[in-house]
Amino acid sequence: MLTRPRPLVLAVLAALLVAGLLIPAFGGPYAVKFTTRFIVFAIFVLSLDLLIGITGLVSFGHAMFFALGAYALYFVSSTSEASNALVAFPAAMLLAGLVAAAIGAVAVLTRGFYFIMVTLAFGQMLFSLFFDTKIAGGSDGAYIYIKPAVSLAGVTLLDLDHRTTFFFVCLALLVVVYAALLAVARSPFGRVLQGIRWNEGRLAALGFNTYVYKLLSFIIAGAFAGLAGVLYATIDGYVTPDLFGWRQSGIAIMMVVLGGVGTLFGPILGALSFSLVEEVLKTESLVGPIATNWSLALGVLLIATVLGAPRGIAGWLEPKRGAEAAAAPVPATARERRPMKGKAIETEGLSRAFGGLIAVNDVTLRLAPNQVHGIIGPNGAGKTTLINLLSGALRSTSGRIRLDGEDITGWAQHAIARRGLGRSYQRTNIILPFTARENCLIAAQARHPEALRFSTRGYAKEEATEAAYALNATGLAGRADTVAAHLSHGEQRQLEIAMLIASGARLLILDEPLGGMGPEETGRVTALLRDLSADHTVILVEHDMDAIFAAADTLTVLVEGRLLAHGSPQDIRRDPAVRKAYLGRFGENEAVA
Amino acid sequence: MELVLIQILNGLQYGLLIFLAASGLTLVFGILGIINLSHGSFYMLGAYLSLTLTSYTGDIFLSLLIGIPLAFAFGALIEWLFIRHLYGRDHLQQVLLTFALILIFNDLQRVVWGTRPHSVPIPSYLSASVQLSDVLSYPVYRLAVAGFCVLLALGMVYVIQYTRIGQMIRAGESNREMVEVLGIDSRLLFRFVFAAGVALAAAAGAIAAPIDSVYPGVGEPVLIISFVVVVIGGIGSIKGAFFGALLIGLADAFGKVFLPEFASVVVYALMAAVLVVSPGGLFGRA
Repeated sequence: MLTRPRPLVLAVLAALLVAGLLIPAFGGPYAVKFTTRFIVFAIFVLSLDLLIGITGLVSFGHAMFFALGAYALYFVSSTSEASNALVAFPAAMLLAGLVAAAIGAVAVLTRGFYFIMVTLAFGQMLFSLFFDTKIAGGSDGAYIYIKPAVSLAGVTLLDLDHRTTFFFVCLALLVVVYAALLAVARSPFGRVLQGIRWNEGRLAALGFNTYVYKLLSFIIAGAFAGLAGVLYATIDGYVTPDLFGWRQSGIAIMMVVLGGVGTLFGPILGALSFSLVEEVLKTESLVGPIATNWSLALGVLLIATVLGAPRGIAGWLEPKRGAEAAAAPVPATARERRPMKGKAIETEGLSRAFGGLIAVNDVTLRLAPNQVHGIIGPNGAGKTTLINLLSGALRSTSGRIRLDGEDITGWAQHAIARRGLGRSYQRTNIILPFTARENCLIAAQARHPEALRFSTRGYAKEEATEAAYALNATGLAGRADTVAAHLSHGEQRQLEIAMLIASGARLLILDEPLGGMGPEETGRVTALLRDLSADHTVILVEHDMDAIFAAADTLTVLVEGRLLAHGSPQDIRRDPAVRKAYLGRFGENEAVA
Repeated sequence: MELVLIQILNGLQYGLLIFLAASGLTLVFGILGIINLSHGSFYMLGAYLSLTLTSYTGDIFLSLLIGIPLAFAFGALIEWLFIRHLYGRDHLQQVLLTFALILIFNDLQRVVWGTRPHSVPIPSYLSASVQLSDVLSYPVYRLAVAGFCVLLALGMVYVIQYTRIGQMIRAGESNREMVEVLGIDSRLLFRFVFAAGVALAAAAGAIAAPIDSVYPGVGEPVLIISFVVVVIGGIGSIKGAFFGALLIGLADAFGKVFLPEFASVVVYALMAAVLVVSPGGLFGRA
């Protein structure tokens, strides 16, 4: 998760700020204009980093919001008097934000390659719209003859036509935007965005409506890009459809990557170095004949950066996360028990067909609370389909499901998750770049997923308590601040269970939690499951017969989608049908063992 | 009525041309897992190759015979130099590297060919027009372009359906990891596919050169439209690229007549509509 900037980073940023403040005093008009331009781009790419680096949405059309912001200034300007910046700037953010809402509503339905192409295409659509029609001068662009002024109640406070004044306004806005985006990224809302970047499926399973989060991120980024755009239009007093072009979007992505994706301060440095390099490459007195082919040189330089330093400039200022030695394991303190009851689940004639294949066929089950329930059966027996039906990942063809008596048949997965049903997957499904504690914090936040929160106030304590409780309950207290990617396989599976507990799940459905574990880890997790059943209901699908017979209070045997038997492990062992159909294959010895 | 007929012809011809470019793009996506922004540059390369070669050979079809293998070789070289470093890397780095390639190619183009627009002559035996009615005629060369595209498309179907390399491509189309598990030398397969994609884009650029003029950045609109086609058709699907391209071709042709100012918007609106109904494209996997 994005941490507070390190002292070294803050020192670099502060030095840049001081240098910036001195520029109008010591640099000529060109230096002021150049720096203003860089600052505007820095604001623009900061907003892009919220999308790319924080949310993981690579937008190749971000320039459209920049351009809309610029055009907004043209729309509010008149030819006779200066527009008010206090109107023009918010108007630019509003216009860009509204269009971002409309385009985002479609674009965030897609992901990966599609998202890149779709944003590129929408950017191009707006370009054509402004190029082909008569809006604001069409392909010729349009002039803004009088630059805006900051005025209040008819009194002009700041005249933005004045280069130095405008420079300081931009610099102040850069500081504000950086602080604001950092706050957004570190808020509970931003925590979810970062989770989406690394593992969207997990966040959805926890009960977050990831579509809404991604859309909001798109809108916020668009609005700030609009702010950068209106500032840009103020510099030159000229807008052209080229501002929408995908080259602009591409260059913005370059600045972000050059600086360091997902760090927020990195893109500022990226914008600065890109502007400087471009300026140097264009100056013939410095680089000689290269200046005529500066974009070729720039291209080569960028390829070298991509292949050589994928973490960008930020990589030099910040150590890679999790590289620091993990804290020594602390022995878990005695587990705090809560007077809490697990949830019961029952099915009635539950079936699911895939075309002609009936994967689950008329299963009626009653799984009591505060017990460990095992589901076994040969491959293809319908075990995974059954738990997918219970958790709402799949819809049943017929039959009903009741959770603690409440009919949840046909509910969406996140709605069921909010009722206290949590599930894990065959493949470990956690957020690898987050620490164990951060994983649990985001899970605890899912207790109130309906609140899109920008502040930790009110919930911070509850979430910290729940995360600590979950880590303690799963024996991970000593590893709380280790990055999940550095945990052992067994610990990662424990962390997955911890996340379910932290999210408030009282019915845990675990799909092969012991898969790939050695005997020692198996023993530890089996004991953990027994212990958890004191205040949770646990359903597990497992292939390790020894472990499941030892851990479970009841066993359900599925064969070819049908319920073959249900009862205590002793009953199942003795059941002749089970022995014939299933256990027989393991030999008589094991069956009676 | 004649207007509608002309627009249908225009739309199909444009769609077929776009299909050549988009099919290369979608193959490279589907099999290499690479988003190639520089694809438009290869279209431009084809256009300029046809300009230069036609000035020597005097016939665009002769220059295609030389130009397409050249483009193929160039594609293989680019794959070896740059693209192969991107396999398995995240989208962002692919976007950046191929964007940097655009900057490089644009400058190289300027150095070699200059910035002046050029035109490529239509061969004399195809310069006539077919009389559609008393007032309307349709240039033969455009029909020849459509025919050429159909021929190449059929050739592609043959390669994909009936050859060993096609078998690997189909395997890769449905499951990329599977190809590697099967012990196919994916390095060679990948190089071949990338080079083929470049050759297809170049072929489109070359054959279109006499219709359009040849100018710097001529491939960029084609890149964007190819993206739209791939999104509509579904990533990695040749069939999707085919129907997507025809759909876009027709939408564009009719948009230009009925909504002249909003013609290009029509195409993107179509894309948005497809995405809402089926976010994975019309023929996309899952």
